[in-house]
Amino acid sequence: MTSNAFTLDDVGVTFETPDGPLIAVQDVKMDVEKGRFVVLIGPSGCGKSTLLRVLSDLLPASKGTARVFGGSGAQARKERRLSFVFQDATLLPWRSVLENVRLPLQVGRWSRLKREANDPAEMVRLVGLEGRENALPHELSGGQRQRVAIARALVTRPDVLLMDEPFGALDEITRDRLNDELLRIWRETGTTIVFVTHSLSEAAFLGQTVVVMAAKPGRILDVIELDARKPGNEIDRTGEAFFGITSDLRHLLERADAA
Amino acid sequence: MKNRFEWLWPVAGFVSLIVLWWGLIVVRDVPKYIAPKPGAVWASLVDNASLLLDNLWPTATAALGGFIIGNLIAVILATIFVHSARARKMYFPVVVVFNTIPIIALSPILILIFGLTLTSKMIVAAIICLFPTLVNMLRGFESVSSSELELMRVMSASRTEVFLRLRLPRSVPFLFAALKIAATSCVIGAIVSEWIGAEKGLGVLIIQTTFDYRTELLYAAIAVSSALALVLFMAVTLAERFLVRWRTN
Ligand SMILES: Nc1ncnc2c1ncn2[C@@H]1O[C@H](COP(=O)(O)OP(=O)(O)O)[C@@H](O)[C@H]1O
Ligand SMILES: [Mg+2]
Repeated sequence: MTSNAFTLDDVGVTFETPDGPLIAVQDVKMDVEKGRFVVLIGPSGCGKSTLLRVLSDLLPASKGTARVFGGSGAQARKERRLSFVFQDATLLPWRSVLENVRLPLQVGRWSRLKREANDPAEMVRLVGLEGRENALPHELSGGQRQRVAIARALVTRPDVLLMDEPFGALDEITRDRLNDELLRIWRETGTTIVFVTHSLSEAAFLGQTVVVMAAKPGRILDVIELDARKPGNEIDRTGEAFFGITSDLRHLLERADAA
Repeated sequence: MKNRFEWLWPVAGFVSLIVLWWGLIVVRDVPKYIAPKPGAVWASLVDNASLLLDNLWPTATAALGGFIIGNLIAVILATIFVHSARARKMYFPVVVVFNTIPIIALSPILILIFGLTLTSKMIVAAIICLFPTLVNMLRGFESVSSSELELMRVMSASRTEVFLRLRLPRSVPFLFAALKIAATSCVIGAIVSEWIGAEKGLGVLIIQTTFDYRTELLYAAIAVSSALALVLFMAVTLAERFLVRWRTN
């Protein structure tokens, strides 16, 4: 058994479009160790979402292999070891907060898996929405809706949390607060997180590993391990180290543009 | 808070038109067999209450029966079509073509098959409800976003679960929009069917009073038909208010 959550070997995805084949990503080699916080960053269209979709078995790789916990993505998905958080919270508007968080336990043969679940009410508390259990999604702010989406993703105690620009539509203040809480949740749960963003500061703040991607064709440009510069994956947003990481990432992305 | 006398506006609207109607008849000196005065219609409504009620029941039964059957079939068809692209390709065009047949032409055919029965009336009322509800339900079932479908897929939800947990609740507002149309059209269906042939019912009463120049009673029968449709419409509206509390963001 490997200790890798993901192993991508030479993965490529090509879409057939009316203008001919479009290479969304190519030559992706990536190992993600269990329990790590990995951030994918790059300009829009560089294949970040595509890569997350391959990891979660929503999309087959056209080339290469993607293995999840040493097995197939489909297997991991059926075993409900993956959770996904989308940019729009994707809450079911007719369900209350608590009922939305309960949804994953009501579908996909959850009860047959005999796995231990988190208490939905406890998850609502974890994301700081105690007292809003019975609210309907339209009664919540954008940030609160995204919190519900995170609670819903965590209720199955997933081994991996895939997040596709989950805070991309939020204002910076709300985003910073949610980033703090996401790190806290990550520490408490030990979940492997793969987080997509196009915000440099978000990447610098959250990631242990930052994967920098480039577009046309979508590919990995560089992988930066931040363990030495961020002991315990903790960093002060106003400190020198943080600005150092942010500007390094900026230089890399600029180089990606020039290339 | 909304003004508690808000309901007075529509009442004033109706009253103003009734006064206009009354005024026109007085001014133009219209004979009462052509158009009666509002007061005479009201008197006829009261005097013939038992006759009107006697004719209301068969129509109401046909309309309500047709409403239930037609909408139920529409929902079942939409469910089948959303699950089987092939069934949809084969039979949706059939439904579209069938829908182009004027309902008034369909009635005699049904009467030939089923006779002057409640069944043929109900079928006409059902057919008239079916198409709008089918089209609306298909749209409702399909109004799910790609990220909602991906969410269900990440959770390994089955097709049945996607249908029951996502498509069906999503379609409820579309269903109610269709039911509001059906609430009035099912009464039209029942009455049209009664024109072609029936022993009893508001449609029969309307035809008879027209030919007998019992114009006041004709107007009274029309008022009762409209009241029937209105009651159905309000029942649907109330049910919707009770069942649909959510909004899309
Ligand atoms: N279903 C699809 N069909 C065709 N092209 C697609 C599809 N999904 C994504 N693409 C293309 O693949 C490329 C990468 O897309 P995506 O992974 O969404 O990028 P990112 O998330 O980094 O913005 C883009 O050029 C996009 O247009
Ligand atoms: Mg994307």
